[in-house]
Amino acid sequence: MATILQSAVGSEALIHLHGLTREYASRAGAVRALDQVTLTIERGEWVAVMGPSGSGKSTLVNILGCLDQPTHGSVRIAGTDVHQLSRQELDRFRAETIGFIFQQFHLIPYLTALENILLAQYFHSMTDEDEARRALASVGLGDRATHLPSQLSGGEQQRVCIARALINQPPILLADEPTGNLDAANQEIVQEHLRTLHRAGHTIVMVTHDPEMASLADRTVELHHGRIAAERRADLTAQK
Amino acid sequence: MKRTQFSLGFIVRRSMVHRRVRSLAALLALTVSAAVATTLLTLYVSLNRQLHQQFRAFGANIVLTAPDGSTLPSETLATVRAIAGSESRIVPFAYAVAQTADGAPIVVAGTDFNAARAMDSWWQVSRWPNAAAATPGSPVAAMVGTRAQGFLHGDDFPLTYNGHTLALHTEATLRTGAAEDSRIFIPLAAFTAWTGQSASTLEIQAPGSAAQVEDLLHRLRAALPGVQVHAVRQLVESEGRIVDRTRSLMLSSLVLIALTVGICVLATLTASVLERRRDFAIMKALGSTQHQVALLFLLEAALLALAGAAAGYLLGSLCAFGIGAWNFHATIPPLWQAAPAVLLLNLFVALLAAGLPMRILRTMEPATLLRGE
Repeated sequence: MATILQSAVGSEALIHLHGLTREYASRAGAVRALDQVTLTIERGEWVAVMGPSGSGKSTLVNILGCLDQPTHGSVRIAGTDVHQLSRQELDRFRAETIGFIFQQFHLIPYLTALENILLAQYFHSMTDEDEARRALASVGLGDRATHLPSQLSGGEQQRVCIARALINQPPILLADEPTGNLDAANQEIVQEHLRTLHRAGHTIVMVTHDPEMASLADRTVELHHGRIAAERRADLTAQK
Repeated sequence: MKRTQFSLGFIVRRSMVHRRVRSLAALLALTVSAAVATTLLTLYVSLNRQLHQQFRAFGANIVLTAPDGSTLPSETLATVRAIAGSESRIVPFAYAVAQTADGAPIVVAGTDFNAARAMDSWWQVSRWPNAAAATPGSPVAAMVGTRAQGFLHGDDFPLTYNGHTLALHTEATLRTGAAEDSRIFIPLAAFTAWTGQSASTLEIQAPGSAAQVEDLLHRLRAALPGVQVHAVRQLVESEGRIVDRTRSLMLSSLVLIALTVGICVLATLTASVLERRRDFAIMKALGSTQHQVALLFLLEAALLALAGAAAGYLLGSLCAFGIGAWNFHATIPPLWQAAPAVLLLNLFVALLAAGLPMRILRTMEPATLLRGE
């Protein structure tokens, strides 16, 4: 596994997708969620992925997070062709490389806020309660460590999710509609956390419907019917 | 750095406590399966003994008689005891035809009341006479058959045999619905002292299957060549047939019930694992290995199986005890040998129930599971 991460150090683009296609079988025939997507994301870049429902945004993020496999095409992350990895190597790669922030938070309901963070540490290497408490404090939830997800508000759950995503210091953060279920106040808190993470050098790939959230990113990629319809830099110059 | 006690065991415990209703349902299913298996196994194993005990109440299944009105050699009882073993019941009988005060002939039998009481527990006796309580010079205690009573006048009566008169006292009455109702039973020692004759018949109640009884017959015949040794065929063969059929029925029931309960447990546990497919996907997203998640689910299933087996074993033993007391009027003790079998059975069903959905989940991408599909 060390070789997987070492290879990332020397490469230029952190993520390179080439000819990415993902088809799902359905009764009506094959549904193409992604169609020949080619995309490069630089280290430290914040990319927003936008598009209407069913355009393939979440599929793209899931494939980037190695939670799904493309039907065709290649995915190179940190210099590693993830298609070449065995299941075990893929599990390890995911733990080392990627942090997830989900729209539905996806916290384990029977573990407290602190334990949800410890869980990520546990699967990564070993647990360190002090570090987990610091991570929780960094998202403003130091006093909520022993609360179960059901005892936290949506915004608080999302912040736990962010702390959990960051605890193992992954180079890539994948956020699927991170503010999709939050009110304005919590949305602002989460936005600020993401800004901080970006300033700290994290690479962020974020799916969003919200133009305000997208405006925070360095680049916006628009998907339509599984294809990249447009790409815009933060200076609003249309690239495609 | 502060290390914590965070482990798979900790996660399993929290999961089980949080999902206590589901956990209890699964535990209940596994307890029932273990209880059913324990009850049936215990009954199946003890059935042979219980049925043979039931048949023992019907009386002798082997009869030894001296040839042509003679008596048995004095060492016969000891020889038979040595061959038949301590589990067998043996009752000696000596017979003579005496005369009442009216000159009516009546059959008198000398026997060991204690042994007869143990073997012929189905006889309806008003109160078994106590031969040991007899005092010298007083009338001999007699157990009089209901039909024989019609030939006697009062409870104290004399009987004459070969010119020797014996004073008797009706200590008990007997009703069997068979030839015994026409007889008068007295202690064998008093009979021998009066008639000069010892036992001519030995009735044996031998435990075991038909084959075992046949084997005993052969050994008795070999050891006592001058004695007629007969099996009470109806009893021996009926007993063998009924025991064999009941055991087959029990075995079939055991397999069918175990299968039915096993399928119910399988369904309950499988549903319990499948409903947590989102947890499975989250853990995968957090970088858990397949092995770690599988271990988590299997550990939970194994813990439930273990607790279910322990509770089910106790419950099943209690049920077997109750059934034994109710149906056989006998004590069926816990069958210790059933414990490991029940534990293995429960573990097998629980691990299968957790393992099957795990195999399904393994083939699915975490993204699919997170979408709730």
